[in-house]
Amino acid sequence: MKRTSFPVLFFMLALLIALSCVHLFGLQAQGISNRLVFWEFQFPRLLSGVLAGAGLSLSGLLMQNLFQNPMAGPYVLGINSGASLLITILILGAGPTVLNQLSYASAAMMGAFLAASFMFLVAKRVQNIQSLLVIGLMFASFTGAIESVLQSFAAPEQIKQLFIWNMGSLQQMSAAQAPLLAVFVLVGIVIALFLIKGLNAMVLGDAQARQLGVKVNFLKVSILFVTALLAGSITAYCGPIAFIGLAIPNLARAILKTQDHLVLILFSVLAGSCFLVAIDVLILLLDPWMSIPVNVLTAAIGAPYVAYLMLRRR
Amino acid sequence: MIKIENAQIGHQHLLISIDELKLPAGQLYALIGRNGSGKSTFLHSLIGQLPLRAGQLSLGNFSVQALQNDHLLRATHVSFVASMFPGIDALTLHAYVSLGRLPYLGAFGRMQDKDLSFVDEVLSRLNLTSLAHRATQNLSDGERQLASLARAIVQDTPYMILDEPASFLDYFNRELLLEQLQNWVQSNANRTAIFSSHDIDLCLEKGIKLLVLHEQRLTLLEKPTKKEVMDLL
Repeated sequence: MKRTSFPVLFFMLALLIALSCVHLFGLQAQGISNRLVFWEFQFPRLLSGVLAGAGLSLSGLLMQNLFQNPMAGPYVLGINSGASLLITILILGAGPTVLNQLSYASAAMMGAFLAASFMFLVAKRVQNIQSLLVIGLMFASFTGAIESVLQSFAAPEQIKQLFIWNMGSLQQMSAAQAPLLAVFVLVGIVIALFLIKGLNAMVLGDAQARQLGVKVNFLKVSILFVTALLAGSITAYCGPIAFIGLAIPNLARAILKTQDHLVLILFSVLAGSCFLVAIDVLILLLDPWMSIPVNVLTAAIGAPYVAYLMLRRR
Repeated sequence: MIKIENAQIGHQHLLISIDELKLPAGQLYALIGRNGSGKSTFLHSLIGQLPLRAGQLSLGNFSVQALQNDHLLRATHVSFVASMFPGIDALTLHAYVSLGRLPYLGAFGRMQDKDLSFVDEVLSRLNLTSLAHRATQNLSDGERQLASLARAIVQDTPYMILDEPASFLDYFNRELLLEQLQNWVQSNANRTAIFSSHDIDLCLEKGIKLLVLHEQRLTLLEKPTKKEVMDLL
């Protein structure tokens, strides 16, 4: 690890703690006087920001490594859409009984894994990222179309439930779900840390990674698994949240100028959390005047940054 | 010692057929052949990237099949320098060369002091120290080629296979490369290096043994003369 990385990582950690304090004690309306409100609403809200930010940017980092392309991410490649589709089927109760037995989280993870595997197979055929991104977009439109058809058969309450979920929000997760999401994200991070050697070698491409002793196929399946675990569970509890997975890892490489995945993983996790908590702080600040969904803000900040990255690559 | 017996090599159709060939260790071999004669294909077979169509090929005590099945063994047994390294965003030359140590590192891929000093020593031998912290995509093709050689040296394997390692190098760096490869094989009796090249004159001048690939045959010339080589090609 480069020594210059330590101050940056330490700064991100300090920033995260500061933002969390502002979020928790400074802004949430009822203050901390009411313990029930604190543990049932305020703390889970902060926790979902921290976990979703960390998990989404880590899954973006892993996907960029898997696709060997810095423009990959769970949202642009339709991984969220796969999760969305299965969630829609679940909420509308339109699926076969087996599927209806599943929880949100497992349905979303399954959808994410299927979508990730599909995109990975597509990526083997099309080499350039433009085609891949277009196919990701088409995949998202296609699942969107199926969702619309399903919705036309749905009852109004179900549609309302879906609509709220689709906006993306950090307030959906209940106190009971919080430990579950925490476990999913932590397991994802820990597995990713054990993949560091392979991830570092994969930067040189499949053939060279094999020559350096990496079990490339095992690594790829592991990445798909971790990505689905992270993107799927987060999408289930917080709705589809855009752009964090794409933008944060690129920011990490731009700032730290390294391809050492230990540093990149730690930075992405911390910066992703900081970004999403900061967004939620903004939402809380604006709350007296208007209520803005998370996705609106992540897109407003993330989309121009991603466009800038594309332009810089020419 | 590299041993090849009754080998049939090629992708869709047969490119090279070798009845028997033994290349003793402690030597440097240059693979010579015309464009499209199958030099890269032969090298890819040596490192196990391309399975043989038939026959046996072994590097020292291990057959290529055995090496294919044991990732770590292969990584510590044979290193490969590809003909082109395009450079990668945010990957410094030092980090790129350090990847050669990967097979020897623990689960989290941390370099120990001995790994770092080995890398530094190899960088200075190849006059790359001043470029160590430059991003690889900002280096010249030749600088990247030397970096790839450094990465293979750092990998510290008994066998090193190089695919046209000098194609982008200037005259002085070509001399440096051959000198370094000769030193590398001579400093340990177990070491063998094979590199493909079009620079017949320089190889003859340095007295390097030639493997000439022509009409699906591979001929070893221990003490080649220019006329012998030209007659074969």
